[in-house]
Amino acid sequence: MPVWLREHSWRQTLTAVYLSLPLRGSRATPANIFCGEQYLKVSIPPFLFEAILYAPIDDTNSTAKIGNGNIFFTLYKKEPAMWDSLTLANADKEKLQYLRENAVLKAHEKAKEETEAKKITKQEHKKYTLEATMKVEEAERKRIEDLKEKERQKVAKELELWKNQQKDGDKYKSIQKKGELHQKIEPLQERKSEKMNKTQISNEGTSKTRLKSTKGHGTCNIFSQNLKEEQLPAPRAAATIKINFTPRVFPTALRESRVAEEEEWLHKQAEARRIINSDLSELEDLKEEEKNPDWLKDKGNKMFAMGDYLGAVNAYNLAVRLNNKLPLMYLNRAACHLKLRNLHKAIEDSSKALELLTPPVADNEKARVKAHVRRGTAFCQLELYTEGLQDYEAALKIDPRNKNIEKDAEKIRHLIQGTMQSS
Amino acid sequence: MSAAVGAERPQVVSHVQQALSYTVFDCKWVPRSARLLCLGSAARGTGIIQLYELHGARLELLREIEKPKPIKCGTFGATSLQQRFLATGDFDGNLNIWNLEAPELPVYSVKGHKEIINSIDGVGGLGIGEGAPEIVTGSRDGTVKVWDPRQNDTPVANMEPVQGESKRDCWTVAFGNAYNQEERVVCAGYDNGDIKLFDLKTMSLRWETNIKNGVCSVEFDRKDINMNKLVATSLEGKFHVFDMRTQHPTKGFASVSEKAQKSTIWQVRHLPQNRDVFMTSGGSGSLHLWKYEYPAQRSKKDSEGCEMGVAGSVSLLQNVTLSTQPISSLDWSPDKKGLCVCGAFDQTVRVLIVTKLNKI
Repeated sequence: MPVWLREHSWRQTLTAVYLSLPLRGSRATPANIFCGEQYLKVSIPPFLFEAILYAPIDDTNSTAKIGNGNIFFTLYKKEPAMWDSLTLANADKEKLQYLRENAVLKAHEKAKEETEAKKITKQEHKKYTLEATMKVEEAERKRIEDLKEKERQKVAKELELWKNQQKDGDKYKSIQKKGELHQKIEPLQERKSEKMNKTQISNEGTSKTRLKSTKGHGTCNIFSQNLKEEQLPAPRAAATIKINFTPRVFPTALRESRVAEEEEWLHKQAEARRIINSDLSELEDLKEEEKNPDWLKDKGNKMFAMGDYLGAVNAYNLAVRLNNKLPLMYLNRAACHLKLRNLHKAIEDSSKALELLTPPVADNEKARVKAHVRRGTAFCQLELYTEGLQDYEAALKIDPRNKNIEKDAEKIRHLIQGTMQSS
Repeated sequence: MSAAVGAERPQVVSHVQQALSYTVFDCKWVPRSARLLCLGSAARGTGIIQLYELHGARLELLREIEKPKPIKCGTFGATSLQQRFLATGDFDGNLNIWNLEAPELPVYSVKGHKEIINSIDGVGGLGIGEGAPEIVTGSRDGTVKVWDPRQNDTPVANMEPVQGESKRDCWTVAFGNAYNQEERVVCAGYDNGDIKLFDLKTMSLRWETNIKNGVCSVEFDRKDINMNKLVATSLEGKFHVFDMRTQHPTKGFASVSEKAQKSTIWQVRHLPQNRDVFMTSGGSGSLHLWKYEYPAQRSKKDSEGCEMGVAGSVSLLQNVTLSTQPISSLDWSPDKKGLCVCGAFDQTVRVLIVTKLNKI
């Protein structure tokens, strides 16, 4: 339940009411004050002050001053009259409620109107600025257009002048020659014929007939007559020059090509060709299936199982030559070498296998474990126990649950400690 | 259009624009006149030659000639100023020379190539240069052939791939070094980036290089002088300027290259009145105007004492975007400095004027 504030004091004039409301220690902000036409409310939780005013006031012009621990209202009356009391006396609950709601509604409406008005003014301002900018740009454009027009006109005038000069020059010449001719001259041919006339004047009879005969014939010697009497050189002796074009593997022009991809493709082709070429001589004897690396792997595995380690190594060698990117080949070959006690080779092969088994993912876990174990064994047999231990620990890291590896790792550790103690 | 007006840079002013009802592949000024030619291919698969005259702010169509095969390229380079016959190459590999006054039958015709003639150039005519008039054509069948209009049916020089070699399209050809009656050189660019320089006096391959991207256009700065500079443009917005005065036995010619626009550079054309200024047209519909500056010393000795060239530098004078489609052909007027015509694949031909070229 809110605490009602009742210790207010007020006084009035004909046009205004001055209300002073002490705040018991609480701070007020404008948000706490709600004022309608006939309803005034100050709500600072938990305090509440509410008043149904005696008569309507002009709430837009009325003010509230917050300070010094109280709020000072200056309410301007709508109708200048003296009030009997600040609040309406016999206000029953219903009326109170009604008035309250009304006040709230009115306030809402007012707020809405205000926002509308603000929006409209904003729009107007925007429009105005837009128009102003447009005007400025128009002016600029017009200025440039005018300059261009001026240039254009100047230039057009010059052109006309030049053309007229040409025409006048020609007309003069043609008038001179016309009198000496008996031919009909079409207006279009004016300039051309007066040049022809010149020819005729210099070489009378022959040229006339020749020119007449050349008109309308398909094959002719048009250039045989040179005005300046200079002898033209004879036509060149026919010859052919053979040319080569810059070679390009792909038929597309460079711009359509994707150079990087092309290089890659070429590279791969070259490699494939190389591999095939190198084996070509020896592989001729082998059957088709024997050239398949997978088949060779299986063969190798079988031989390993049977104990024919050398044969297995051979099979794996051939498989590697055909396709040197299969890690399993190297792995299995490493196992064979271990059995054959070619320890260095075993190390090499397991290292190669590990290289090919990057990136380390779950799929090649088992393979990597095997590679590490085999390399570790080889190291130990070479008495390089620390390296061996490293490999075993790597294997353990990949597969911590393998008991055998753990046991072996332990053994190696003891061995190391033993040797260290003894040395 | 152009960038800041008011500066001292040359401005490219679009004077006339003409919409065409066909695809224009080449446009050329008729020498000594204010007329221009548009060559192209109509939708029905025939070739069109249109002759326009510049009248004030518009182009007036004087003549329209239709030919059975679409026409790819043309040149006035090998005819005399009196006759002004047009040499054209078409989609079928035919080289024809036309008298525009009587275009029903060609003055010279030969089925020069098995496939489309991509590019054509002429030298020895128009009062420029000395020596026999010759026309060179480069075709998709990988061959470059030089023709003399006085000799029917067989070319006077044929640059073809060795037997069994796969052919590469020849996209562009240009004449150069025609400073006296004997000397002449043909430069050809191919779609795999090869540039080959053939010497016609000795009938041999003088130099070759590869610029990695297909070569769209080559041009010497002048055909009729001792070869000075060669500009080669390629796909992917690059062009190379080679200094042709000094040839090193192994390193060839020195060059500077510039990457101008993101798209293919379709054409390069040097200003006839100033051989150090050239314009490149691009696949994005833009034109760039460049100036070449020579280095302090054009040649220097390398470690073995051989002379090698030093390339200069290229600076951009102006650029302008005229169209959304590639500008495939460009031609400066030899008579009025700064007047040029360009044809684009949006079926318009535009006459442009480049101002302030006197000040560079």
